[in-house]
Amino acid sequence: MIELASITKSFNSGRPNQFTAVDNVSLMIEPQKVTVLKGPSGSGKTSLLTMIGCMARPTSGRIFLHGIASALPSQQDQAGSLEITSLPERFLNDIRRVTFGFIFQQFNLIKGISVLENVMLPAYPTGESRADFRGRAEELLEMFSIGRHAGQRVELLSGGELQRVAIARALINNPSIIIADEPTAHLDSKLSYEFMEIVGKLKEAGKTIIIASHDPIVYDAPLVDVLVDMRDGAIVSSGRDR
Amino acid sequence: MKTTLERHLNILDFTLASLLRRKGKNLSLLTIYLLVIFMLASLVFFVTALKREAAIILEDAPDMVVQRLVAGRQDLVPTKYAEAIASIRGVSKVRPRLWGYYYDGLNGANYTIVADDDSVTEPESAMIGSAIARSRKVTVGDLLPLISYEKVPLMLQISSILPAGSDLMAADLIVISSEDFQTLFNFPAGQATDLAVTVRNPKELTTIASKIAQLFPDSRPILKSEILRTYQAVFDWRGGMTVILLSSALISFIIFAWDKATGLSAEERKEIGILKSIGWSTPDVLLLKFWEGVVISLTAFLLGVVLAYGHVFFLSAPLFAQALKGWSVIYPSFRLSPVVDGYQLAVLFFLTVVPYTTATIIPCWRAATADPDTAMRS
Repeated sequence: MIELASITKSFNSGRPNQFTAVDNVSLMIEPQKVTVLKGPSGSGKTSLLTMIGCMARPTSGRIFLHGIASALPSQQDQAGSLEITSLPERFLNDIRRVTFGFIFQQFNLIKGISVLENVMLPAYPTGESRADFRGRAEELLEMFSIGRHAGQRVELLSGGELQRVAIARALINNPSIIIADEPTAHLDSKLSYEFMEIVGKLKEAGKTIIIASHDPIVYDAPLVDVLVDMRDGAIVSSGRDR
Repeated sequence: MKTTLERHLNILDFTLASLLRRKGKNLSLLTIYLLVIFMLASLVFFVTALKREAAIILEDAPDMVVQRLVAGRQDLVPTKYAEAIASIRGVSKVRPRLWGYYYDGLNGANYTIVADDDSVTEPESAMIGSAIARSRKVTVGDLLPLISYEKVPLMLQISSILPAGSDLMAADLIVISSEDFQTLFNFPAGQATDLAVTVRNPKELTTIASKIAQLFPDSRPILKSEILRTYQAVFDWRGGMTVILLSSALISFIIFAWDKATGLSAEERKEIGILKSIGWSTPDVLLLKFWEGVVISLTAFLLGVVLAYGHVFFLSAPLFAQALKGWSVIYPSFRLSPVVDGYQLAVLFFLTVVPYTTATIIPCWRAATADPDTAMRS
């Protein structure tokens, strides 16, 4: 379980242009379920996701990982909880690399290198044998039916293919939590439904999935377990296990 | 240990793939970098080898050469000076030397003529340098006619060609007997060009030199160390002149490399953000940039040094020979003995590879230390 306790994120603190993106948010995110953060642009969904994913630190508040196998078992307390907000940067890297897999709105693939290399990218600094993670990457590409594009450069792929590459990359280190930020923003309806099918498979595989989206195809999908409605950096409503 | 090695190999692997993305830009940078290293390393190799060559040759030179001056100009030395100098305590041997220059109208070159009765025992025979043999198209057993000051041809039979290894000093050399020397130049008997003095104890050289100067006020004793110093200074000066000529190219390269290495484009900043967001740490990103710098600069350095080695020691430095060897109609076509000054190479390494690699890493530092989402949005 991921616990967010009174999380606030402010930008330009102490300056006239101070802006609070996330305002005192508390939330429990259940493991092995699909949680969707819903809300209009500027509601704080992406900021909240980046803090859950250890990409940014909250201005105040704490985030705990309860009972989730992380890269840092030595840092967990006896109950298996890990408070991630106060960890030094080097520990956050390890958690980002092993515990979370990220799917970005713009896919954020690296141009000029092959599909296979993009998928393997998160595994390069782990020190794992190249042959091992290459095998895994090829399996993932096959799983998402893009194995034939393995040697191609990413800029030659279509939007749907790009997203499947991004999903494969998010899974290369076998994370327990998948974070997706507006994953269907650049997809047509057909591809959006296909994406949700993949999410369903990941859920079946036991992954915890957190998605930020204002696309009804995503938040109205039957496989969504928890819907968190956000506006102006705060949670308007949350709950309803389906 | 294995994990660390794998991490380096994996990141290096990605570095190479990453560099190939900007093939044109990186290849042009590598080419210019390589050219600069090649020029500088050639210069270092050439000057070092020449200085060493000169030092080796001068090892056999006499401890001191005594010349005679008339009105500040070098003049012939009476051989009776030799007898007086030999009697100075500490002097072991004094040998009057006969040498001079001969202008060959056929090919417009100047030859150095030396008389040596120990090497050339037969009259009207000669040992010649390989450059003369080449330019006059003669070989052992052929006749080499030289026109004497009396305008009479002196027919010298070539007894041997001096070995190519001694080309630096002997390419334009003709060794003949002293009798032929006197005939050729109408050289007065009882005179020598200069005197070669050998002493028992090298520490007494300056004392003996001052005694000679006292004994013969018109003499000028020149110590071997002074000759060596002059050679070193001449080659250093020529090397320095060449560096000045190269400096404009060097400065252009530094500006170009600095601009390339320090500038971090928006795309590169975004890529760093992506890498960080998918789990790369700051040291991982800096390691990537380090390898990028190392791959470019070390490849340029190693290739440049290897090419310079071949250029200087196998091809006899055609690009620098005219500037560094001196001025002559017949250049010696000698092959320098390979000599590598580790210190100078290390200096070259630290002045090229290290600054470039550092300049590559530093601008990434800020992007790599920012929160991944900040880097990604910038």
